[in-house]
Amino acid sequence: MRPTLQFSFPDGYDEQQLMSDLADHYSTKKERFVSESMAIYDTFDWRLFNKSLVLYESGNKLVLRKLFESTIIHSAEITAPPVFIWDFPDSELKEQLAPIIKMRALLKLAEVYSRATPYRILNHNEKTVARLIYEEIRSSPDKHIPALATYLWLKPVKGYPRYSQNLSKRLKEAGFTASKKEDIYFEALRVADKKPGNYSTKLNIHLDPDMPSDEATKVILRFLLHVIRINEAHIEKDLDTEFVHDFRVAIRRTRSALGQIKNVFPAETTDRFRKGFAFVGKISNQLRDLDVYLLNEVNYKAMLPAVLRDNIDTLFDYLREKRSTAFQEVISGLDSRKYKRILQNWDVFLNEPRQASPTVANADLPIIDLARKRIYKKYRRTVKDGNLILKDTKDEMLHLLRIECKKLRYLLEFFSSLFPRKKVNVLIEQLKKLQDNLGDFNDFCVQEEYLLKIAEELPATDQQSKKTLVAIGSLIGTLDREKQAAKDAFAKTFTDYASPANKTSFRKLFTSK
Amino acid sequence: MTTLALYSNKGGVGKTAAAVNLSYLAAQAGSRTLICDLDPQSSATYYFRVKPKLKSGAKQFIKGGKQVDKSIKGTDYDNLDLLPADFSHRKLDVTFNELKRSKHRLTRILDPLKNKYDLIILDCPVTISILAENIFNAVDYTLVPLIPTTLSVRTHRQLLSFCKKNKYDVSNIYSFFSMVDKRKKMHRELMAAVLNEFKGILQSAIPYLSQIERMGIQREPVAAFLPKSVASKSYQNLWQNIRETILSKTTI
Repeated sequence: MRPTLQFSFPDGYDEQQLMSDLADHYSTKKERFVSESMAIYDTFDWRLFNKSLVLYESGNKLVLRKLFESTIIHSAEITAPPVFIWDFPDSELKEQLAPIIKMRALLKLAEVYSRATPYRILNHNEKTVARLIYEEIRSSPDKHIPALATYLWLKPVKGYPRYSQNLSKRLKEAGFTASKKEDIYFEALRVADKKPGNYSTKLNIHLDPDMPSDEATKVILRFLLHVIRINEAHIEKDLDTEFVHDFRVAIRRTRSALGQIKNVFPAETTDRFRKGFAFVGKISNQLRDLDVYLLNEVNYKAMLPAVLRDNIDTLFDYLREKRSTAFQEVISGLDSRKYKRILQNWDVFLNEPRQASPTVANADLPIIDLARKRIYKKYRRTVKDGNLILKDTKDEMLHLLRIECKKLRYLLEFFSSLFPRKKVNVLIEQLKKLQDNLGDFNDFCVQEEYLLKIAEELPATDQQSKKTLVAIGSLIGTLDREKQAAKDAFAKTFTDYASPANKTSFRKLFTSK
Repeated sequence: MTTLALYSNKGGVGKTAAAVNLSYLAAQAGSRTLICDLDPQSSATYYFRVKPKLKSGAKQFIKGGKQVDKSIKGTDYDNLDLLPADFSHRKLDVTFNELKRSKHRLTRILDPLKNKYDLIILDCPVTISILAENIFNAVDYTLVPLIPTTLSVRTHRQLLSFCKKNKYDVSNIYSFFSMVDKRKKMHRELMAAVLNEFKGILQSAIPYLSQIERMGIQREPVAAFLPKSVASKSYQNLWQNIRETILSKTTI
């Protein structure tokens, strides 16, 4: 309604010259400058940037705006630098950010300093009819260092459109350019040596269909190794739970690739590394389990009847203690000679030059052929397993199907660049629904068992711990009902997944004509 | 969203000075505020250095709707807009009277503005006719400045009985002492008597001060050009008082 215009200065034109030029036409009044620092935050995986959002802290305020726009969406007062969403004050800002940031920590990416001098443009009644703000932005509060950017803001005053129109025209004539696709965000991050969007959990792999399969597989595995290395470097700081999580996912994908992209490397090599990565994966199993329980603390409490809600705290205190031990174990695991040797050998292997004539069956095969074969075979396997479950639903079978689905999902993701993106995405979406259902079922089973095990571990001598046991019992009851509900939902979810239309899509995309 | 009228059926009691300073203070505290100058004398408009003219024209103003927004002017202060007065406001009474639902015309005019502002303050002319009824129907609360003089108190009695007779909720009418001279024995005595007689008298009083009169020369709210003065302090106290006793009932 009252758009603010942002201009960039023409070369060699400065604040003084501008104001003396304007003085020929307008009566102006300079006001005291306002200094502000602006610290930009985002998660390690750029969740805000990916949504075109800019979150910054200025003074005791946390402000959210859109990239390339100066209008503030939400702001909230804070007393400490923001880290986790659950530490935010209750506000619209929190509501908007919670589903985006989730459990990730906010990291301070860069800090810039703005010095803004407002000028009022006055009419003959000395009424303010427009505002100009001269702003200099620097990477340090020292005003003698050169500015990263210099902007002029034109703020119209409601009811006086003529003045701002004329001013805007005059500025453009003087060589000012209205800067639209420019945001200090990028300049600030560039100076801090940060590249927006340079890390993502998505597999960003591009394969050429004619590539020999061994080479293509190495491309995938090198990408995964890169993700492993990036996250491994941050685990020690324990900023949030997701570095370990992403680290684990990359390892799981590596293991899956080694097992599923068959006969591309010599059997002995594949076996050796599969064993190695099985070991690497185990290092953080316990830590991840505990992280999942702790992240779900609020949900668990919500499952409990109000009278028991406070009694579960003992359990979570106990889990927190266990977590700190588990975390230390991961740190020493990553520091162990065995771990380092496995990763080192892996790195060497992935970067070895390709053998001229590999002897392994699929090594020379164009990757598109192998990808088609593997994906289609895996899809048929999941359909076959699912059909058996429809006849007789056994828990064990559901677990097995979940693992098969995961393998299929990874294959689809590794090779997605070889097929039409939209079509693959539709299939992934369909598969995802089934995976969610199976995942829920598995989670409830695992949680139930785990709680039973913890209940045995907890010393239950005093009144308090007895109450905790009652609360755990109640939780197990709820989880069991949820588990049954997930099981009941399986038939419908699977029937959609194995629908004739979906089968046809898989056949068309993944069988050679 | 809250609407508040600075109203009195007696002239020269400090309505405009209060409306201007209270709206300024509300805006400074972060509320999106609109001050509507309904007085054809256009004093509030003058204080904000705005031309006393409605861009939409008087006819469009009476019709209400989106046209009214076009006439609104930004003031020199953040969050504070002004709907200027117009000389045609002198005929508001007559014009409203000729229309259907003649006692609810002002409500229609203000309604479309309500989602754009947190607080709308009306600076009203002296009236106790159909325009006054339009005001009572349009606002959430009415605030009456009261000079501690016999005539002023008598007029207030008149207002309350008018409201009771016409079934307006008198519990939404508040008043505060204005232009108080504590040196005058009569002012002190009358204030004590009034506190006994009427409900809804706010604690904070605005003293009689030449600082407030200087607004005419400065053309700014005294709270803006002399923020630390006694005058400013008394408006700040009044605003605080209004927030606690009146606006705490609604959300602003």
